[in-house]
Parts: sequence; structure tokens; C-alpha cells
Amino acid sequence: MEQSNKPHRSGSTNKTPAKKKLHQNGQNKKAFAVAAPRKLEKMARRSHDVNERKLHVPMVDRTPDDDPPPVIVAIVGPPGTGKTTLIKSLIRRLTKTTLQDINGPITVVSGKRRRLTFIEVGNDLNSMIDIAKIADLVLLLIDGNYGLEMETMEFLNIAQHHGMPRVLGVATHLDLFKSQSTLRLSKKRLKHRFWTEVYQGAKLFYLSGVINGRYPDREILNLCRFISVMKFRPLKWRNEHPYLLADRITDLTHPMTIQENPKCDRKIAIYGYLHGTPLNYENQMVHICGAGDYQVANVEKLPDPCPTPYFEQKLEEIEREKIKQQIENGEKPARTTTRRRKRLEDKQKIIYAPMSDVGGVLVDKDAVYIDTGNNFNKDNENKGEGEQLVVDLQDVSKTIKERFEEGPGLQLFSNSNALNEVDEDEEAELDLLSDEETIVDTGRTLLRKAKVYGKSISEDDEFDKELSDNEEEEDIDEFEHGKVEVDFGNQYSDKELDYVEDSALSSDDEENGYYNTAQKLKGSIRRNWDINKLLYLPNIEPEDVLKRWRGEEDEEKEENIEDDEEDFFKKKEIKQVDQDDSIKPSFPSLEVLKERFEEESNSDEEYENGYKILKNRLLTAPKLNEVDTEKQEDEGNEDEELYGDFEDLENEDQEEKEENQEQEDNQDDFADFDKEENDEGESDNEPEDNSDLSIEEQRKLNAAKKAKLKMQFEEEEDREFGVEDPEGDTEAETWYEFQKNKMAKQLEINKQQYDQMTPEQRMKVEGYKAGSYVKITFINLPCEFINNFNPKFPLVLGGLLSTELRFGVMNARIRRHRWHKKILKTQDPLILSLGWRRFQTLPIYTTSDSRTRNRMLKYTPEHAYCFASFYGPLVAPNTTFVGFNIIDNKSTTGAFRVSATGIIEDINSSVEIVKKLKLVGYPYKIFRNTAFIKDMFSNALEVAKFEGAQIRTVSGIRGEIKRALSKPDGYYRATFEDKILMSDIIFLKTWYPVKVKKFYNPVTSLLLNDHNEWQGMRLTGKIRADEQIETPMNNDSSYKKIERPERRFNPLKVPRSIKADLPYKSQISEMKPQKKKTYMAKRAVVLGGEEKKKRDLIQKLQTISKEKEQKRKSKKDEKFKERLKKIAKVEELRKEKEKERKKEYFQKEGKKRSINFEGSSKRQKT
Amino acid sequence: MSSKSNIITFEGHRNFRLRLILSLLSGKSIKIVKIRSDDLNPGLKDYEVSFLRLLESITNGSHIEISYTGTTIIFKPGIIIGGDLTHNCPHSKPIGYFVEFIIMLAPFSKKKFNIIFKGLTNSHDDQDSGIDLVKWGLLPIMEKFGVREISLHILKRGSPPLGGGEVHFQCNSLIQQLLTIHSVDIPKFSIIRGIAYCTRVSPSVVNRMIDTSRKILKSTGCEVNITADVWRGENSGKSPGFGITLIAENKRGWRILCENTGKANELPEELSEGTTYQLLDEITKSGCIGRFQILLCLVYMSIGKEDIGRIIIHKDQVDEKFIYNLRDIKQILGVEAFLKEDEEDNNFIIVNVKGNGFTSISKKVA
Repeated sequence: MEQSNKPHRSGSTNKTPAKKKLHQNGQNKKAFAVAAPRKLEKMARRSHDVNERKLHVPMVDRTPDDDPPPVIVAIVGPPGTGKTTLIKSLIRRLTKTTLQDINGPITVVSGKRRRLTFIEVGNDLNSMIDIAKIADLVLLLIDGNYGLEMETMEFLNIAQHHGMPRVLGVATHLDLFKSQSTLRLSKKRLKHRFWTEVYQGAKLFYLSGVINGRYPDREILNLCRFISVMKFRPLKWRNEHPYLLADRITDLTHPMTIQENPKCDRKIAIYGYLHGTPLNYENQMVHICGAGDYQVANVEKLPDPCPTPYFEQKLEEIEREKIKQQIENGEKPARTTTRRRKRLEDKQKIIYAPMSDVGGVLVDKDAVYIDTGNNFNKDNENKGEGEQLVVDLQDVSKTIKERFEEGPGLQLFSNSNALNEVDEDEEAELDLLSDEETIVDTGRTLLRKAKVYGKSISEDDEFDKELSDNEEEEDIDEFEHGKVEVDFGNQYSDKELDYVEDSALSSDDEENGYYNTAQKLKGSIRRNWDINKLLYLPNIEPEDVLKRWRGEEDEEKEENIEDDEEDFFKKKEIKQVDQDDSIKPSFPSLEVLKERFEEESNSDEEYENGYKILKNRLLTAPKLNEVDTEKQEDEGNEDEELYGDFEDLENEDQEEKEENQEQEDNQDDFADFDKEENDEGESDNEPEDNSDLSIEEQRKLNAAKKAKLKMQFEEEEDREFGVEDPEGDTEAETWYEFQKNKMAKQLEINKQQYDQMTPEQRMKVEGYKAGSYVKITFINLPCEFINNFNPKFPLVLGGLLSTELRFGVMNARIRRHRWHKKILKTQDPLILSLGWRRFQTLPIYTTSDSRTRNRMLKYTPEHAYCFASFYGPLVAPNTTFVGFNIIDNKSTTGAFRVSATGIIEDINSSVEIVKKLKLVGYPYKIFRNTAFIKDMFSNALEVAKFEGAQIRTVSGIRGEIKRALSKPDGYYRATFEDKILMSDIIFLKTWYPVKVKKFYNPVTSLLLNDHNEWQGMRLTGKIRADEQIETPMNNDSSYKKIERPERRFNPLKVPRSIKADLPYKSQISEMKPQKKKTYMAKRAVVLGGEEKKKRDLIQKLQTISKEKEQKRKSKKDEKFKERLKKIAKVEELRKEKEKERKKEYFQKEGKKRSINFEGSSKRQKT
Repeated sequence: MSSKSNIITFEGHRNFRLRLILSLLSGKSIKIVKIRSDDLNPGLKDYEVSFLRLLESITNGSHIEISYTGTTIIFKPGIIIGGDLTHNCPHSKPIGYFVEFIIMLAPFSKKKFNIIFKGLTNSHDDQDSGIDLVKWGLLPIMEKFGVREISLHILKRGSPPLGGGEVHFQCNSLIQQLLTIHSVDIPKFSIIRGIAYCTRVSPSVVNRMIDTSRKILKSTGCEVNITADVWRGENSGKSPGFGITLIAENKRGWRILCENTGKANELPEELSEGTTYQLLDEITKSGCIGRFQILLCLVYMSIGKEDIGRIIIHKDQVDEKFIYNLRDIKQILGVEAFLKEDEEDNNFIIVNVKGNGFTSISKKVA
């Protein structure tokens, strides 16, 4: 069949299409009308919402973008959900290696610029807490059959309060669902549950069954892809602290010391990739999670064991540049480089996992194990050569001693030491060294030193660089001044090297070296010192620093400016005398200054040094650019203006003179200004002026100019959204964009400035930046740390800021977790995970009484926030934390363990918390408004303290404490607003201060033999239960039934004799008793005849009706009973039927279950 | 528990206040030994003790131990609280001695600073800064770092020796972090301002000072604007005195300034002349800030965000004090500066400092 295509219409011929015709009478209104305005509005609103939700508070991302540290991927889940299987599958997918045993973090290269560190998190609260603080991505494994379990919930809650990392849910064991419909249903249910926990639309992966001990390749591939494109937002805490997840650890303590004292403090090196902000160059304090705070003794940057292809490529580029230059300089290239690779090859899929058994080699803390396969058989004939060698090694018939005695042949073995950890280290370093060789330009010194001292190469390498820098400098010096001896460079470096060798043993500072060399150099050769090196050498006094730094200048100036030098010395003298504390600068004497700036005595020299510079620094009025005559006139006018107000008659002559002088001077000035103008003109009209320059040169100039402009930063205030920005780089439409641009620019500036520094300077200023692989050495770690080390538990090092080393009281807003069963009690120990640390402390819960005072609460409120004050290491306000009552596995019940969550609001050295105190007293003597009170205080001193305090009776009569009585100690006089009764009780309401107990107990779980059994201080209730102590009960505190006997008041009886004597006013008015009988009392009522009959009749009628009613009722009851019986019968029948049905059902279902059970048990076995 | 012998030790009374202030900012304990141990009057001076007392009153939990001879002190810093208080300064040092360092703490406190200082507003000792120097020199620099709403009011002038001055210092902005500043071009100063003041002497003294200095500055062709500030009656303190402060200012608000106070038997003309020449000298030997302001800049750059801030200074400004200051900053804050020669003019140096990411922890949230 033939296809009927639209015929081609050429554009040129017919240029009046139908559209145009449509628009002939204005626009086609229908086309532009809104069809559904409501819907449109909704859509617009929604899109705005979506856009708005994307915005976050702009935050600087401190991770370097050129070589970022590996992404930490934590695999979390309850036991048996398939964490290990998942890691194995992922590793297999990414590196094509199969791991037998997973220990510690595993770093793999996953893409051109991305590395991943996988770490499995066991079912231990401590590990979960530590990992929640550092993980970038969490793969949350969920058993599809059970849904979210308690551990998962706990982890999510912990993670949420330590800056939620990205969470990917992975549902496993989905192959156990028999029917598709239930699978679908449970998937959906799980998804929604997961969404409520994480966020709406969170990604949940579904992994079906296990094939060959791995998850299906397709599913893993998808997961990998998902991970590889994932982006991460910086989290506040991690953006302010350096941290490291250790992937290797070695004990560097001298074996002898250990032998002498097995419990001695250890020197331990911890390796890993740095994350977060740069680690300080020195004196960094670090918190080892689960061990405590320690000072870093030494940091070494090591070559990356797992470099990204991108990084390697960059290194190669640098190398190539170098070689190019070498060739240009006429030197022979040192070596050829390898080809650049374009795709991630198998070779580049590096895996680095020192704690696991990569490639069958397992590095333990004191040995290296080589896996020779599962079925170990010596007689196995078909073995590889290497394997054979290893097996042969084991096949030793005699001991070393025996062999030693034998004599010959041992020589061969004496070289090869037993494989111990130290040796391994060296080996590794040698390996690294060979890596390093391809990277940097090295000399022969490297190898030697590495062998002799076992120092890592990177440091030495730095040193070398430094050396070469110095040499370069020297070269420049030579070139410039021609004063330096030719062989100096060599000599210098030799000296330096000698020193290195010496000092390495005594572990001296390299600074000493400078000083030594400096001293050696001092007499013979003047060098142009780099101020940056001199600045911080503690051995060199600032005066010397300045002298050395200015050394060249002095020499040059020596002949002609003696004054200046004098001046210089003068200054120094002054400074030597007063070791002053002032920041106000001192000036040379007036004469010197006058000479410099005085017009008349201005020799050329002076002019050049003083006045000309001054002119350069001042922005003068434009009139100075005009011609001489005008200028003079102007000056004259100005003078008039200036001095119009004050007439100095005396000095008029002088002034005239001065003016003349000024004119002369001005001529000088004009020359200067002309020149200056020219200069400016040059810069302004560069294109025209520089016409003689070639275009390229011009371009270069322009580029340089532009670059400079770009790097210029206007002051903050001047810029409103970057309006004045020269390049318009930071210009933005919204505040948000503006902020982001500003941050980007600052980062750019940082990078540029760092690049200008030499590596070691950069290291000092910047520190060890994130992404570098470092070895951090500690010298005083407890031996338990290494003895009980278990690679299954993550080892996290968190850098501490200086404030975090201080201790104090923190006030926090806290809430009992709603899933935690009990409310929390004041002063009961609570384990907090705050900052890097986990520690136990005694919080006091408070509430604020309308902001007048902080009142102590005995218990946290049921559902509301309250305040808590506790002692511990300070962290910045706004840090969130999580609290637990128990974290050890032994005392864990099935209950939810996260007991409280909160946020630090305020830190202080002390805090005012009060609790109510009611003092009770009783009156023992009452005057009109005055009463003496007893039993409230025990002595007069106490009373004195409360003089003037408000008191109150139970009935509400207010009063005041006046003064202590002298006689019964502690009794006092008080006045009231009204007369009180003897039966009144007097209250004094006061507030009693509560002190926060200084209890801080770090969770040192990593020092224990069993890492997940750290217990700490027990709760009060727990202690009572354990020790079987009864809860103390104050008898007064128990609630009893209040018995209030009716108070009876006897009538007032006044004896007659007294009554008679009473004055009229006080006479008690009484009525006389009545003597006559009343009318009613006199008559008795008797029922009459008619009346009696009526009543009788009514009574009879009532009796009959009652009887009738009763009969009817009994009949009704009978009927009802019969009905009940009927119903019961029907019910019984129904039940029987039900029973039968159930029986049938369970007979069927039970069979199914048993099959299922068998299946699951099978799975567990594999 | 916390202080495991990580006390930083210094020797001598150099940079006494700086060290204490840095200690407070960083939270590290310091120990200063050998304070004037070789002097005839060993130990702390009264003004230094007064400074310590002031620190104690604006902080909570600070712990000061002064040895029996006064030659050794141990300072364990607490938390900066601030608040309202009055401080009586001893007559051996002017108020400026206290204010110039206290202002560094002000933006990082828990409550707003509201302190009335009583004492000398100026001193004729050349070492100590007068209140005008602080007001016109340091506060604008603080504003550059993002500390706004900071003010210094001279309620009463008090000349030496008897004083009687009163200065009200107020800081209303409590900030979390300082801004990173970048000032890398050599500024040109466009205007010279000044304040000539006198207390309990004839107002003509002020005019004489202004005249002299104008005459000298005329040749520079700059706009000159010197204010006469004559104090009378109660507010003029207890002693007669006069002084002048000159400020060169550029359009961006950077200032270079210098001041002097009249000594006994000194003519106002002499004083003014000397000060003017000193200002000219300072201008020729400065980048965008004078020597007086460098320390504040260095400290604030060191405790800034973890970015590189830059500021241009003159080579002559790299003197001993500068180096001592940098070393102290390094020792306490662990921040090193990097000096780089300016590409355009090799008389200038750009100081690069990477902040240590300090954030104010005293401030309460919500």
C-alpha cells in the first residue's frame, strides 16, 4: 500500500497562512480565553506551592565539589531483614567482587566522581545513634511480611533529631507472599506507612527473593542507579564539624611497653575519609563516639586508597603539564604517563575495605589472614602457584629456633619477618609510595626515609615540596640579585635533609629546622624571607622577623636613608622598653614627620617618600586637574573660604609667604598630577593607548582586569541584591538567589586564595579538607579500646569546636516521646545523644511560671513540652537531641526505647530553678492584730532571714513576719490584717532553689567487652526493684480520708449575776418565755363522719388498683422470660454452626501455615 | 573533667586584654605568668585588675585566680552575659582602655550590653586610646562585620588627671556570626573630619587647634571638616583639658584616624600640628585601616565564618605588635593569617584569614 504523506509546502511561496487571516480582526478571542478559570487558578497555586516547597534556607555547602568524600550509605534494619545480602549484592554489582564477611565500612568507586562507603548497622542502639549522625543515605530494610518494626521506628526517630539523612526504604522478603493480590495490598500498605514516617512520596524499593545469595541483579541495578544520582543537602551539624568514619585502625604502641604493662595507654592510628568541614591543622579535639574526647596527636594525609577516576584524571593532567614544562625547559621527561580512560573500567572499580576480607585478605588488628578457600586440603594437587606458596608457608616442620641452630638456609627466612601488623603497615606504605610516585615529583629521599622511619610519605613529600619551593625561591633570588653563592641551594637542601634525619628520631618540630637553617644562614647570606613562614615561628622574636623580612630593603636603602633607619631603631627602642598592652600606634617624632610632609624642605627624596604617597592616597577635588593659573585662583578663593571666619592678623605675612611656597609646591604637584592623570588616562583609554600592543596582549590585559574585577567583593552594605556588583555575578532577582550567588562567590574566592598558597601553607590555613584520606594518631587511648575493638560496630570520630569542650548547664525544651510508655522523672538518669556525644546526665524538668520563675516539675507532662536543665558539655543552641532510659540490649524489652526528644535553647553556667516550699507554724498567743507564732523556724537566724516575708492563715488572713522573739528560739512576732484564731494554721510560701547536679557520664560502649551492654547509672526505680528496697513513704504525704467533725458551738450562757451588772448597751436582749397557751395548742382535731367515709373509700380503691397492677406486671415478666429462652436457643444454634465453620477453616489453613513455616526456616538456614 | 591541663600559658603582660578577650571568645582557659616579675612593682596594675573585674561582671561562671604576688593569673572563661552595669575605671587608664576590648565581646553576649563607664575619657599617655578614637575608629569597623546598632555616647567628658567623664556603651544587636569582609583595593581618602574638644578651658583653644590643622591640611586639597566640641559646666568633668581627633574617611566608610590630648604646658597649636602630621603619616602607611584598627579586624576575621576574608594593609603596618597579635590569635584561636603581596602595589599586603567558624553560643533561641 502506498503511503500518503502530506505534500511539502515551501515556506517562501505562500506567506499568508490561515493564522494570519484569523487575526485579521484582532486576536481570536476564543483562543485566548480561559476555559476553566477555577482549575487554572488551582493549578497556578499548586505550581507556586511546589516551587516554594523547593526553597530551603540557603546554606553553604562546605564539601569540596572537585573531590568530595565518599557518600556514607548506612544499611539499617532489624536482624534477618537481609542487610548483609544487600551489601553483598551492591558490592557485587559495583565492583564485581564477592565478599565473604562484612566488617566495617566498605568504600567502592561507583562513578566517575562518586564513591560510596557502605556500612552495616547492627541491631544496637549505640551503633544506630552514631550512624544516624553521619550517614548521608540510609537504606532502611523492612521485612515486607512484618512491616516497620520497633528498631526501624527507633532509628527513624533518632535520625530525625540528628538532621534527617536521605532515607530509601527497601522492602525485602516479598517472595514469601503467595498470592499476588496480598502482595500488592501489603506493598501498598507498607508504602503508605513508610510515607507517614519519612515523607509523602518517599521512595520505597521492593526486593523480591534471593538468588545465589544475592538479590536479583535487575533490582540491585535500579537501586544502584538511584543511589548514584542522588543529591544531598548539607545538614547543619555536619556542615560545622569535621568527622570521620574509621575504616582501619592500628595499634602503634611499642610492643615493649605493652609487654611491660598490658594495660598501658595506647598509641593508636585511625584511618578514614574526612567529612564535613576541614580538620584543624593541629590541636584538634575529637570525640570518639563511644570512647570519649581525645586530642589528636598527629594527622597525616595519605594517598587516596580509592581514588575516583575523575581525580586520577586530574592528577594525570597535572603530571602532563609538568612533563610538558620539563620538555620545554630542555629536560628529559621523568616518565611517561598512562593513557587517560574515558569510561569507568573494571580496573577503576576499586573496593577498599581493610576490615573485611577483600580478595581473600583479611586485615585484623594484629594479623593478616589470607583465605585459601573453604576446602582446605594440603594434598590438593591442582593449586595456583601463589596458593601453593601460602600453603607451603604453613608447612613448617621445625621451629625457628631449630632452624637457626641448623645454620644455613635461615638467611632466607630472616629477611621475611612474620606477618605482623607493623610489617603490613610498611608494606601498605610502600604500596602507597609507589602510587605516590606517579602522582608527584619525588626525589630519592622518599624511599629511604619511608624505610628507615616508617613515616608516611605524604608528610615527607610535603617537606620536599617545601624544599623545592625554597630552592625555587633561591633561584629567583639568584636571578634577581646575583649575590647568592651558586652552590647554596644544594648546601641548603643537604643541611635540611640532615636535619630531617636527625629530628625524625627526636620527633622535633619542623619549625626548628627553619630556625636552624635560618641561623646558619644568618651571617652569610641575606635572603628574602617569606613573611608567612616567619610569622608563626615561636623561636624567632617579632623584631627578628621584621628584620629578616625587610632584610633586602634595608640593604638597598642603607646608603641614602640614614634618617629612616634611625627612625626604625628609635621605634624599636621604645617597644623594647614597654612591653605594652596598648593598641594605639606610636608615631615618630614631630620633626621627622614634619620633614617628610613639609613643603619647603621637600627634597626629591622626601617628596617621593612622604608627600607623593600621601597624594596618591587622597581623593582630591577635580579642580586640581585644571591649568595652573586657574588652580592658583581657586586656591586663593578657597583660602578665603577656609579662613573667612577667622582672621589671623599676626600670621598674615606668613600666610602670604606660605601661599607663595604653596604655589611653588603646587607646581610640583601639578607635575605629579599630570603624570597621575596620564596614568589614569592610560588605564581609562587603554584600547586607544595600547594600540601598539598586539591584540593578544590586549586581550590578556583585559582578561586580567576582568578576573580582578570578578574577585573583587564590594562591601556587604553597599549591595542590594548585587546591584553594584561589577560583574553582575551575584545579581539576582530574588533574595534567595542572591544569597546563593553570594555563597558561590565566596566559595570561589576561597578556592582561588587557597590555590595561591603553597600546599603546606594551605594546610595550615585551611586544615585537612573533607575528602582526604587521613591517618589520625592518638597517643593516650585506653587499652580497652583496642583490646575490645569490634569492626562490626561503627567507629565515628567527630571534631569538636572549642565551645563544645566546655561544660555547663544546658536548658532545653524537651518532650517525652509519645511512644514511650512512662513519663520521665526529675533527677532520674537519662542517656542523651547530643552533638557527637552520648552521655548520661541528671535532668531537672521545669516549667516556667508565666516567665517569672522556673519551677521544678517532678515528672514530665504527659504530652506537652516542658523545659529540662542538665549538666554536660555545651553545644550551640538550636541543636536537637534524643534521650533514652536504657540502651543496653540486655535490659531492652520490646518497648520503644526513645524516651525523649528535645532541642537546646540556651546554655549557661548556672540556672535558677526553684521548687515550692511551705513552712507551717501555729499561733500561741494572739493580741488584736499581732500574734506570736511558733514551730515555723528552729532559730532566730532563720527568722531574721525571713523578716518582712508574707504569711497567710488558712482562712486567708494575710500577714507579715515582724521579728524574732528572744526567748523561745525560732518563735517570732507577726502582724495580720485581722485578728486570727488560735485554731488557725500559718503558712509561709517560699521557693527553694534546686541545683542541677553536675553528673556527666559518657557512654563508653566501645571500651566494653560487649559493646552493646553499656548500662551506666540505673534509674531510681530500677535500683529499688533490684535491691528490693521499698519506696520510702512519708506518712504525711499519704492521702487519708479527711475527717471533718461537725463543730458544735455551745450557746452563750451568761450568769444572771453578771447579766444584771451589764450596762444597758451590752444587755443581752432576750424574750420572756410565753406563759399563755396558744390557740392551736388549746385545740385537738378529730376526724368527722362524712370525711371518714370518704377517706376509707379512697383507700380501698387504691388497694384494688395496686393489686391489679401487680398482676399485670407478673404476667409480663413471665412472657419476657419465655422470649429470652427462645433467643438463647437460637444463639446456641448459631454458635454451633460457627464452630463447625471454624473447624473446617482451620483444618484447611493449618496445613498451609506449616508449609509456610518450613519455607521460612529454610531461608534462615541459607 | 573538662580542663585536662589544656590551659594555654603566656608570659608577660603583653596583650593582656587581647588574651583575655580571646580566651572568652574561644572558651579556652589561659594562664599568664611572669607579669612584670622583674619590675619594681611586680604583678598586675590596678587597671588590669579593674579590667578583670569588668570581665567578671559581664560574664557568668568566669573563674579568675590571681596569685599572691599578682604575677600569675589563671583565667577560666565563663559565658558572656552582658547586661546593664556601671564600671568605675581607675584614673590610671582612660575609659578607652576598657572599651576598646569590651566592644569585641558585645555582639556575642546573652543580653544586650548596656554599660556606663566612669573615669577619664582621654589620657595624655600616648599609649591609651581616647574615647573618640574608639567611637570613630572601631565602631565603624564593627559595622563592617555586621554588628549594627552599636553606639558609644559621651555623656560627660573627663580630662586627666581627675576625670569625671561618663561614657555610655550600648550594643543592641546580638548576632550569631560575623560577616566575611573583603577589602582588597587601596582606598583613597576623600574627606578629613575631626573633633577638637576642650573641657574647662577657653573655647578659643578649640578654634586654635582647628585653624592650625586646617592650615596644614589645606595643601592636600581634601575636604576638611573639623567640629568644635566645647564642654561646659557639669558635663565637662573635673579637670581642664583639650584634645583633637582627626579622621580620614573614604567613600566606603573606611577610616584612618589619630588623636592626641593636650599635655601640661603644651600649646593647642603644637598639639594640633603634631596630630595632623601624624594623620598624614598614618595615611601614607595604611591600607584601608589604620594601625589602631588592625587588631579588631584580625580578631573578627579570625572568628568569622569558615571562609577566607581579605583586607589590605600597608607593609609598614606589619610591625611587632601585628606579629605578636597574630601569634596570640593563633595560639588561642588556632587561626593563621596568610599575607600576600598586593599585585598592583608591592607596598601593600593582603591579609587572608580563614575564620574558625565561631558562632555565638550565648544567645538564647526563641
